[in-house]
Amino acid sequence: MKKIDEHAVIRVVIATGISSVVTQLLVIREYLAQFKGNEFVIALILFSWLLLGGLGTMAANLLAARGFKAAPRRLGGLSIVLAAITAPELILIRGARDLVFIHGSSVGFYPTFFFIFITLAPYGLLVGFLLPYSLFVLRTTRGDYPAGNIYIMDNLGDILGGGLFTFLLVYLLTPLQAAAMAATALVIAALPLYRGAGRAAFWAWAGTLGAAMLSFFCVIHEHGSLAPPEGELIYYQESRYGRIAVHKDQEQVTLFSDGMPLFSNQNLVTAEEVIHYPLVQLDHPRNLLLISSEGGMMAELAKYHPHTIDLIELDPEIAKVLFQFNLVETIPGLRVIHQDGRAYLRDTEKQYDAIIINLPEPETFQLNRFYTEEFFRIAKRRLVPGGILSFAMEGYDNYLSEFQRRKLSALFHTVKTQFREVLLLPGQQIFFLCRDGAVRSDIPDFLAEKSIPTEYISRYFSGNLTPGRIAELNGLIEAQIPKNQDASPSLMQLMFSQWFAQYGSSPAAFFAVLSIVLLFYLRRLHAEEFVLFSSGFMSMGFEVLVIFAFQIYFGFIYHRIGLIVTVFLAGLLPGAWLGIRFQNHGRRLLVFTDSVLIIMAGLYIVLITSGWEHLPEALFLFLGFTVSLTCGCQFPVVLHLRGGDNPAAARSFSADLVGAACGTLITSVVMIPYAGIVWAAWGLIGLKSLSLVLGFKR
Amino acid sequence: MKKITRRRFLCLGAAAFCCSAVPAQAFWPFDKRGEGPSGSADVTGIVFKGDGPKTLPKWHHEAAAYTKMFDRKVVCGICPHKCVLAPGDRSLCRSRVNLDGVLYSLSYGNPCSINVDPIEKKPLFHFRPRTTAFSIAAAGCNFRCLNCQNWEISQAKPHEVRTTELLPEEVVAAAKRAKADSIAYTYSEPITFYEYTLATSRAAKAAGLYNVLVSAGYINEEPLMELCRFIDAANINLKSFSDEIYRKLNGGRLEPVLNTFKTLHAQKVHFEMTNLVVPGYTDNPEMVKRMCAWIMENLGPDHPLHFLRFFPKYKLDRLPPTPVSTLTQFRELAMQAGIHYVYVGNVPSHDGVHTYCHNCRKMLIQRQGYLIPEFNLEGNQCKFCHATIPGVWISTGAGAVS
Repeated sequence: MKKIDEHAVIRVVIATGISSVVTQLLVIREYLAQFKGNEFVIALILFSWLLLGGLGTMAANLLAARGFKAAPRRLGGLSIVLAAITAPELILIRGARDLVFIHGSSVGFYPTFFFIFITLAPYGLLVGFLLPYSLFVLRTTRGDYPAGNIYIMDNLGDILGGGLFTFLLVYLLTPLQAAAMAATALVIAALPLYRGAGRAAFWAWAGTLGAAMLSFFCVIHEHGSLAPPEGELIYYQESRYGRIAVHKDQEQVTLFSDGMPLFSNQNLVTAEEVIHYPLVQLDHPRNLLLISSEGGMMAELAKYHPHTIDLIELDPEIAKVLFQFNLVETIPGLRVIHQDGRAYLRDTEKQYDAIIINLPEPETFQLNRFYTEEFFRIAKRRLVPGGILSFAMEGYDNYLSEFQRRKLSALFHTVKTQFREVLLLPGQQIFFLCRDGAVRSDIPDFLAEKSIPTEYISRYFSGNLTPGRIAELNGLIEAQIPKNQDASPSLMQLMFSQWFAQYGSSPAAFFAVLSIVLLFYLRRLHAEEFVLFSSGFMSMGFEVLVIFAFQIYFGFIYHRIGLIVTVFLAGLLPGAWLGIRFQNHGRRLLVFTDSVLIIMAGLYIVLITSGWEHLPEALFLFLGFTVSLTCGCQFPVVLHLRGGDNPAAARSFSADLVGAACGTLITSVVMIPYAGIVWAAWGLIGLKSLSLVLGFKR
Repeated sequence: MKKITRRRFLCLGAAAFCCSAVPAQAFWPFDKRGEGPSGSADVTGIVFKGDGPKTLPKWHHEAAAYTKMFDRKVVCGICPHKCVLAPGDRSLCRSRVNLDGVLYSLSYGNPCSINVDPIEKKPLFHFRPRTTAFSIAAAGCNFRCLNCQNWEISQAKPHEVRTTELLPEEVVAAAKRAKADSIAYTYSEPITFYEYTLATSRAAKAAGLYNVLVSAGYINEEPLMELCRFIDAANINLKSFSDEIYRKLNGGRLEPVLNTFKTLHAQKVHFEMTNLVVPGYTDNPEMVKRMCAWIMENLGPDHPLHFLRFFPKYKLDRLPPTPVSTLTQFRELAMQAGIHYVYVGNVPSHDGVHTYCHNCRKMLIQRQGYLIPEFNLEGNQCKFCHATIPGVWISTGAGAVS
């Protein structure tokens, strides 16, 4: 049999790892720009990605069992196909959305899931197929080729891809350019597999040319693929935090963030309400803090002649756009701070007369951090005596739904722990005015007393916010609603419920089907494979927990999130190496590593419940690294115990991926919102304990 | 069996695919043209099979305008959807159920929203300005508008919302207590709580109160004619002048709404029209010109038309708001077409919120939000040129400044 160039195959495995992680990060951003950016959608993307990978791996195993021969050229051909579909994958997601759904509309859970799953299927299945297939290719000439090596090389590619994207590509290239680059790396790695292949080499080069042309076509149409049917795209930038686009329609300029209209230069109503409702309550507002701003607000602020206005915009790109397109005017005393709002408030010594939070609703864990008891405590410390805090939730016209009522009640009780007076004002947005002093609701009279002119409030307030409507809203607050806390984000649960109610759907059917399929799958797993399933679950679940804790304690800093992901990926590599090194210890090593994972989750609980405010970052990174290292260590050991043949390798890869898929989904959308992070960590301990028990029984 | 080569297999496969693509396009689910009777982009609701309650809830009333069929099935005759309901089924609008061959409305005497609003908020600019309307709504709607402002009640079943018991006579009494001039059936869709609207408006009329209907106008002629006997004013939302957009964004059809306008006009009910200008959908000047031409031809120049600014809402939340200049342009187009009174809504301090005499062009009513600092009508005539101004005006004391 002709000898295979092992190095060439290994290079393909590494390139596939690089390409797949870059593509994964690109498609996550693309889906977030097309759909609601809440945790459910993020979890659905990762779930679909990992599940499709697992199915692709199973397919490789099934085909191998049915005599589908592994060959380097086929591996090369499949790699070129994977490269060819990388950039079109992004165009497909972008273009198909308006083809399938009504332009400009949001869709609910099931349409989102099916769209993600179907559009991701070609890439996800193929990338999942390639990993075990590479191993089968290597084993055609060397039957005992260790599967652990493939695992290590894939992880190496993942780390390189993650680092490359997070620290370089996101700044330098557009999504389609980055996709084309990732595809190029894969093609370069795949072509040597055709060395001396005669006619097949011709087809490989033809395929490469086709892939290059497809990618090139996609790249040159990138701007066009983002152009809106209404108005024109006058600015587009991929920032670290998401996609920023500015649309111009006649004189109106609207800033879109991840596909959602965020600010417009013609939104006088919002500008007046956000600024005047809180500020009119104060005698002399001197120092003001504004967490995010939009068109017209500065002009309204200027009517109070404050000494200083600190405006916090986390994303410098958004701040740049706000000023570039006059969505925010420069007024005396204005200072723009590019920092996470919560982190800033925690660290600053400055005292404010008013803190105005102009953020979207707590749809994500990241935003939820601005609506917890702990945040309100921090904010209160930065207010002068009698100072005011204000924020707003989505409003209603004539009827407060039950979900909204519970959400407002939870917020009311949360903020009431810090402020003596909390008044809710209804309207298109529901404003919370929180203060230790009196809060008046007769805003137009109050403004008239202070001779502050307004266009909307003075004319429409009395008709829209009648005393009856204000009293009705404040009277609808329920007493028995749990507070929203960092470690127990009950508000997220209510936000998810509201999201489902808005689209008239429920995730119950999804989770019922998932549970049945999962039970069926788990019944077919060997005990050792269950260890991998639970480790995959633990690894992703713990990553979510660490990111969550990081956001609570250190703020949402893109680099740090990238660092966590990289640390998690980096731990797998030495872990796998250690696993190969000590695989002869077999089951004892599995028991030991399972115990380590349980201890790490326990340590996490201790840290979270300790009440320490200044936990060192390194501690969480250490925990993450140790967990991934331990999980990585188990893979070669299980392979060794299972005999390491092709079907065993494929099943092990599948178990790891399916476990990771479930871990992502269940931890982020079930365990954390419904039970809190401490109980979520206990859930991981429970799962790993089960794995441990099975380990002892084996 | 004869073996087939790979090349031949691929050729045959490609040929089969191409051949099947021709008939398959008829079943392509993503019809963007919307020329046919329906398509996948159609958001029209469906009957809720077997979703009705086993026993009648407290608030119910036998439905008006329905036909009994075989097997105890019924056909609702209120709106053009004409839901065919088997026993136990719930109508598309969520508020009607077939219980053992009898159709019941479950939205009768149980409003879920009650407010006292300025009449200008409906919006009605030519109907008794500066008065207030006692406004009620019950759950349900026969449309599925993606941008619904009141989706919490319009897309809910009556038992899913908080309600207050308020039978028709009690509504009238409450309206009088609130010193309201009229009762407005509004917010969700009064056509779905038709029986309640009809009974209350009858009682209100008897008690000397006015009745105001705020609706999408998706109603059959017969029940509408009955309602016209009691309704004094209406604001009908002409959501677009395209059947495709009606199906795509609202879940209805254009023609029945146009018929509603014709009926109201023929019955001499004062009505005003609103048109929400949604970017990318209803912001086409050519469509607005066609709409205005139809209005002029069928309704004449005297029914006020309001162009409303769109804001992202409910499911249609990925579009920008309407640029103000689009509304200004549409107002000018409508006035050029001959419509006398055209307004711009949802834009504070736009010039298009004031009323100018169609004859002498002088300002008749200056509006600052819901306040009216200047009022230049004497009876129903322009104070300056004595032209008759269409509408229902307060005959005495109307010139008082609020």
